[in-house]
Amino acid sequence: MTTENGALNQRLELRATGLRKSFGGVEVLHGVDIAVEGGEVLALLGENGAGKSTAIKILAGDYKRDAGVIVIDGEEADIRSPRDAGAYGLRVIYQEFSDAPDLTVAENLSLGRLPRNRFGLVDWSRVRRDARRILEKLGIELPIRTLVGNLGVAERQVLEIARALAGSARLLILDEPTSALTLEETDALFAFIERLKAQGVAIIYITHRLDEVERIADTVLVFRDGDAVAEGPVSEFGRKEMVEAMVGHELVEEVASLRGEDHDIGEAVLTIEGATSEGVFRDVDLEVREGEILSLFGRIGCGALELAEAVFGLREMTGGSMRVGEQSGQPTSPKDAIARFGVGFVPIDRKIDGLLTVLNVAENLSVASWPWMTTAGLLPPRATAKVFERWYETLDIRGKGGATQSVDTLSGGNQQKVVLGRWLERESRLLVLAEPTRGVDVGARAQIYHVLRRFADKGIAVLIVTSDIEEVVRISDTIVVMSRGRVVARHRASDVDRAQLIRQAAEDTVEAAAAG
Amino acid sequence: MDETPVDKGGGGSPDAAPAVGIGSRARIARIFVAMPPEVVLIVVLVILGAIFWQGSEFFLTTRNMRNVLLSVSVLGILAAPGTLLLISGNFDLSVASAAALCGCIAGIVAEENSAAAAILAALGVGLLAGIFNGVLSAYAGIASIVVTLGTWLGYRGLARLFSNGQTIRMNGKVEFITNDILGVPAQIVLFVLISVLAWFVVRYTRFGRSVYAIGSNPTAARLSGIRQKPTIFVMFIVSGLLAGLAGLILASQLDAASGNAATGVELEVVAAIILGGASLSGGRGTIPGTVLGVFILGIMQNGLTLLSISSFWQDVATGVVLVAAVGLDQVRLRLSGS
Ligand SMILES: Nc1ncnc2c1ncn2[C@@H]1O[C@H](COP(=O)(O)OP(=O)(O)OP(=O)(O)O)[C@@H](O)[C@H]1O
Ligand SMILES: [Mg+2]
Repeated sequence: MTTENGALNQRLELRATGLRKSFGGVEVLHGVDIAVEGGEVLALLGENGAGKSTAIKILAGDYKRDAGVIVIDGEEADIRSPRDAGAYGLRVIYQEFSDAPDLTVAENLSLGRLPRNRFGLVDWSRVRRDARRILEKLGIELPIRTLVGNLGVAERQVLEIARALAGSARLLILDEPTSALTLEETDALFAFIERLKAQGVAIIYITHRLDEVERIADTVLVFRDGDAVAEGPVSEFGRKEMVEAMVGHELVEEVASLRGEDHDIGEAVLTIEGATSEGVFRDVDLEVREGEILSLFGRIGCGALELAEAVFGLREMTGGSMRVGEQSGQPTSPKDAIARFGVGFVPIDRKIDGLLTVLNVAENLSVASWPWMTTAGLLPPRATAKVFERWYETLDIRGKGGATQSVDTLSGGNQQKVVLGRWLERESRLLVLAEPTRGVDVGARAQIYHVLRRFADKGIAVLIVTSDIEEVVRISDTIVVMSRGRVVARHRASDVDRAQLIRQAAEDTVEAAAAG
Repeated sequence: MDETPVDKGGGGSPDAAPAVGIGSRARIARIFVAMPPEVVLIVVLVILGAIFWQGSEFFLTTRNMRNVLLSVSVLGILAAPGTLLLISGNFDLSVASAAALCGCIAGIVAEENSAAAAILAALGVGLLAGIFNGVLSAYAGIASIVVTLGTWLGYRGLARLFSNGQTIRMNGKVEFITNDILGVPAQIVLFVLISVLAWFVVRYTRFGRSVYAIGSNPTAARLSGIRQKPTIFVMFIVSGLLAGLAGLILASQLDAASGNAATGVELEVVAAIILGGASLSGGRGTIPGTVLGVFILGIMQNGLTLLSISSFWQDVATGVVLVAAVGLDQVRLRLSGS
C-alpha cells in the first residue's frame, strides 16, 4: 500500500523493443517498441485489431512474446507471468472484467492476499476495513458488502481500477477504461489519473476516443496492423493526424449527411404509451417511425436501458402499453420479441450477453437468423459463411482467420461489430441498440453510422440507447433525454445543443417538470 | 474441436505461416498446437495399440477387434447423446440405470408377450425416463446433474424392484436383436449409425449448432432467440430412448435382464466424452472425439485383459490414461491461447 505516497516509489522507466507475437502461425505484432516513464501518460491508439491489447498483454505477462526485450529501470525484465509483472509494479485493467463475480466487493479488493488473523483464518473485519480505506483513498463510492456480480457495468469498471491500485502500482495500463463509464465517471477517472501521474505513476492508456487523448495524454503511440507507425508528444498530433496515422489515409466524415434531415419519416413502428416499470421508469411515451433513428440519451441508470430491455421482452412493464407495427402488447421473451414483433436487440454488455464464444465468426453473425436460413433443419457451414461474406466488408470485421475464426480470438472492437452485425443480418423491423459504437474504432464508427442510416432509409426504425454525446448528435433524427426514469426533453436533431443535452440529462425530474 | 479457427488458420492454410527463422522445436510445438485434438487421441490410440500388440499376438486379429467393438458398442451408443448434452452444459448420469430398468421391463413383458411387445415396452420406458429427466432439467429449472443423480438412484432402484433383485431369463426371445447384419453384429452397426448421425446433427443442423451456442453462453443464446428449453428437452428424450435401446442390447447379449446391468457405465460414458475433448463447463466437444474416447477405453480394457493384468490395475491404468490425455489437451489449449 504505497500509492498514496507514490512519490516514495522509485519512478519506473519501461522500454520494450521489438515485441513480436503470432497466433497459430499468423503474426499480429511485427516488432513494436513501447517506451513510457513515471509521470507520463502514453496514449496507445489504433484501429480494432491493430494489436494494442496483445502488446499490453505481453507487457503484463499474460501472453508469451515470440521475440522482443523488455527493459525496466535499465535492466532486462524477466516477465513470464502476471505475477512477475506485478512484482515490477505493472497493473493492467483489461477490456474484460477479471473480478470474481460471486464474491463481495470487499473480498475482491483483497483477492489473492486475504489477511489472516492469528488463528490462520480469514480476518474479515480487516478485509472490510482495508476495502473501506482503499475506496476512500481513491475517492470511490461502492457498497463493499455487495456481490460484485450484482454491480452495474460502470461500478465494476471502477472496482477493477480500485483493485489494480490496491497493490502498489508503478505502471498502470488501462485498456479502454471509459467505454462503460458515464461522463461524470469519466471525469472522476481522469482526475484520478492526474493524481496518479503527479505521484509519478506511469500510465498507458488505450482508447478510441480522441477527445480523451487530448485531455489526458502526454505522448501518443499509434499502431496500425501490428506495426508502430507514429509516435510523439501529443502537441504534435491534431485529431486529423491521429486518425490518418491509425487508418493510413484520410478519413472523410460525412457528419451532416448522416443526419439525413430531409428524408421521409414514415408510419410509426414502435409506439409506447405511459410505460412504467416500478422504480425504473415511469410514464414514458415514445414513438419511433419507419426510417427514423431515435436516440434515448441519459446517464447510466436513467432508465433508458431498462426501457429498451422492456421492448425486447427482457423486463416486464407494470403499466402502459406498447405496440410494434400491428402487434400490440409486450413481448414475453426475447424469442417472442424476435419472431412475433420483429425486434432486434444489441445488448450493452456484448462480451457477456452477446458472444457465443466457441462458435466462429460466421455463426455468431448469423445466429439470430438461423430459423430463416435453415431448410429441413440443416445449417451447412456454407450458409453461415455467406452471411460472413455479406458483412465483413461493410462492418470492416478484421480477423486473420476469416469466417471460421473463433469469435473469442477477435479483438474487442471486432467482437462488437459481430454482435451488431447479427441484428443487421436479421433485418428486423425495429432495431434496439445499446451503446452501438462502444469500443469501436473511428473508422468503423463512421461505417456503422452509415449502415444504420442505410437501414433506416430502407424503412427500419432504429432506437439507440446511448450515453455518448458525440453519438447522439451525429446519428439521431430525434433525441429523447431521460433522467431518473422519466423523459425530460425531446429534440429534433437540427436544434440540439450539446451543453443543453448534458444539462438536461443531469436534471432532476422535478425541475424538469417545472421547466417543461 | 474442428471449429477452432486457430486449428484451421494454422493447419489449413500453408501460406499463412511465416517463411523463415523457425527452429524445428518451435515448428513441432506449432504443429502440436495447430492439430485438432482428435489427432492427439489417435496418437494415444496408436501407442496403446502398439504396446498391446507387442504384448499379445492375438491383439490385432480381426476376431479381437470385433470383440473390442462388441464390448464398446453400448458405451458408444450412450455416449453420443451424452456428448450433445455435455456440449450444452448438461449431464445425464441416469443412462446406465435407465438401461437396466428398460432391460428388466423387456424381460418381464417378454415372459407373457411377443418380442415386439417387449421391445416396444423397453423403448417406451426409456422414452418416459428421458421425458422425466427432461421436464425437470429443461422446464423446472433444476440442474440436470442434480436431476439425473436422483434418477440414477431412482431408476436403478426401480430396476431392482421390478426384477425382484433377480436375473430374468429371456429364453432366446430377444436374441435376434444382436444378430449379424451383413456379417456385422447389429449393435456395432447401431453404434456406427448413431455416431454418424450424431456427428451430422452436431455439425450440419441448426439443432446441433444451437447446442453449442447454449453451452458456450446461455444468455447470449437466449438473446439471439435460440429456444433452449425444447433443445435440452429433446436431448434428454433421445438419451432416454437410446438407454432403452442399450438395455435391449444388453438383455439380448446375455439373454437375460438384471437390475444390476450396466452398473458404473454412466461414468464410463462421461470419461469417454471428456477423453474426447469435451469440457465439463460446456461449449466444447465433438462426436469423433467421443468415439475415439470410447475406443481408447475399450482398447485399454481389452488389451490389459489380454496381458492378464488384474482388473484393479486395469482401473488404475485407465484412470492414468484419462487424466494424461485430458492434461495433454489442456497443454495444447494453453499453448494456443498465448
Ligand atoms: N488468442 C488469439 N488467437 C488468435 N488470434 C488472436 C488472439 N488474440 C488476438 N488475436 C488477433 O490479434 C489481432 C490483434 O488483436 P488485439 O486484441 O491486440 O487488437 P486491439 O488493437 O486491442 O483491438 P481493439 O481495439 O478492437 O480492442 C487481431 O487480429 C485478433 O484477431
Ligand atoms: Mg483491445
